[in-house]
Amino acid sequence: MTEPALATILLVEDTPSDATLIRRAFEKTHVLNPIIWTRNGQEALGYLSGLGQYSDRTRYQLPALILLDLDLPEMIGFELLQWKRTQPYIRRIPVVVLTIDSATSAVNSAYDLGANSYLIKPGNPDEIMRVVKTIQEYWLGLNQPPKLVLRATPDAR
Amino acid sequence: MPDGPVLLVEDDVSDFRLIQRAFAKIKPSIPTIRLTHGDEVVAYLAGDGPYENRSIHPIPCALLLDIKLPRRSGFEVLEWIRTQQSALKRLPIIMLTSSSHQVDVNKAYELGANSYLVKPSNNSELDQLVSTFRTYWLELNEGPNL
Repeated sequence: MTEPALATILLVEDTPSDATLIRRAFEKTHVLNPIIWTRNGQEALGYLSGLGQYSDRTRYQLPALILLDLDLPEMIGFELLQWKRTQPYIRRIPVVVLTIDSATSAVNSAYDLGANSYLIKPGNPDEIMRVVKTIQEYWLGLNQPPKLVLRATPDAR
Repeated sequence: MPDGPVLLVEDDVSDFRLIQRAFAKIKPSIPTIRLTHGDEVVAYLAGDGPYENRSIHPIPCALLLDIKLPRRSGFEVLEWIRTQQSALKRLPIIMLTSSSHQVDVNKAYELGANSYLVKPSNNSELDQLVSTFRTYWLELNEGPNL
């Protein structure tokens, strides 16, 4: 089994209209990477831990990038960040916070908890498009991602 | 645009010149400060010795950090920054190195690097890298309070 060519992006976003806008923007930017949408921190944690329906790792790959809204029901983004940094392998996955909250205290807390980057989620589709395009260029293009599962040899599985 | 210069930590003179040239093409210009070894970075960030005066040696808005450095390696610098008690621990750190070894990439993320970039082998790609770095980290990204 070889790894699929395109890395998965995990989108953690509780507002369905925002999730739709972000996913549409990725499509328009011709990003073919699978985008998994989870609506809250618990679901994202379940996905990252491979719980329940997400135990099938061939279908539900560990993501190469996490886009995280902070204002989430059940488990807020900060708690997810806190949990993530304690997890082997998973703690390496870059997290880009994408939220409407521009308060300095929120920005500082996110970095303190290990967020890799903090972006303000714009209100209109054109601006979201611009942000998504830059995320694509930077995180899916220029940035060197971590490797999450170590294998002995490329042909071992 | 955030306050503060971009700190370039690069011991290789020819690599540094190329990076500096790529930065010089950016308008409006971005102030950069070059440091050449790990101990110097720690002294600069701590404001020790010759770096005490913050009006001459301001806190940077981002750090472009090589791994292979004399005295203290990039990894040691990274670890030192992330374990500080002050706001300094939040400084955005972007590795810029010739190593694309997976072990190095993984280690950098484990130690808290924000991002990992591999030095391209040709000038036009380096120009592109610096330009994308600027757009992402200095324009789009919301930096922490340092």
